[in-house]
Amino acid sequence: MPDSRREFMLATARAAGVGGPLLGLLAGRSAPAKSEETDLAILSAALMLEHHAIALYGHGLRRSLFPPGLRAYATEFRGDHQGHRDTQIAILEERGATAPSPREDYDFSGQPAGAAFIRVALEIEVAAQRAYTTLISRIRTNDYLLSAGFILVDEVRHMTVWQRVLGLRIY
Amino acid sequence: MAAAPLATLASRAEATDYASPAEVFAAIDRLEAALDERLARLAAAMPAAAELARSVGADHARHRASRAWLRVRLRAAEAAPAVPAPARTAGSVDDARAVAQELVHAYAEGLPALGDATAVDVLAHHMVDDARHLAVLQMWTEADQGA
Repeated sequence: MPDSRREFMLATARAAGVGGPLLGLLAGRSAPAKSEETDLAILSAALMLEHHAIALYGHGLRRSLFPPGLRAYATEFRGDHQGHRDTQIAILEERGATAPSPREDYDFSGQPAGAAFIRVALEIEVAAQRAYTTLISRIRTNDYLLSAGFILVDEVRHMTVWQRVLGLRIY
Repeated sequence: MAAAPLATLASRAEATDYASPAEVFAAIDRLEAALDERLARLAAAMPAAAELARSVGADHARHRASRAWLRVRLRAAEAAPAVPAPARTAGSVDDARAVAQELVHAYAEGLPALGDATAVDVLAHHMVDDARHLAVLQMWTEADQGA
């Protein structure tokens, strides 16, 4: 992955609250062995990205920052992220781990409405897609690998829809 | 307008349980060929689909080459050349979308059967390409339905 894309993904992951060894993995500086500890770290990082996305879409919907014709997509995508969150919380709890809570200091104030806000939503979708694509091969257990595969497919749909809305190349 | 949220729909109970990498590769071969065939029909009927068909075909050619390498790496048997199933309707966007969705499901459901981190990494990247194709076809179907 080019350095600029990696830095962008890392910046978004940090903003979402991802920290510690997972940032090293996302940065390509480490390749931890597949283990229960790695699975739990991936689940926690993914969950922070999902919390961030849910908060961002919630803010945009509450403040009517999405163009009226695109609210249905925003509502659908927020629902997908809520599903991803719940799936990953369930997997964490099945393994006896505690799921991380959302940050309490998300600050989306001052975000502009319209296409500019779509661009912000696209940024979190691109970061999520890259994070899942980077981390998926380190997942040890088949149940989480299966779920992560389907979650990744959803993230690609979200990303592609916003890219199309913004007139960016999609094929 | 909402496409089916894949993560929610594909419960673990509904997933195809692939037994080996060879089975996964064979399913992808078959569905990839079917999608190429559907898109070729679509492009013949609707010139606006030609660029998408070319782009998907180019991605699939690259994916096939990578799978050939993975077959050697994983000692997975080479399957017979994939013969696309007959199209249910000629030149339909929704028919192509349905095949694209089956293909993406085969990738996602096949990842646990690979048993090799490199293979998972390679196929996950292929899946991202095909999920993008699927999203394009979903948007096209949604636009047709909304028209």
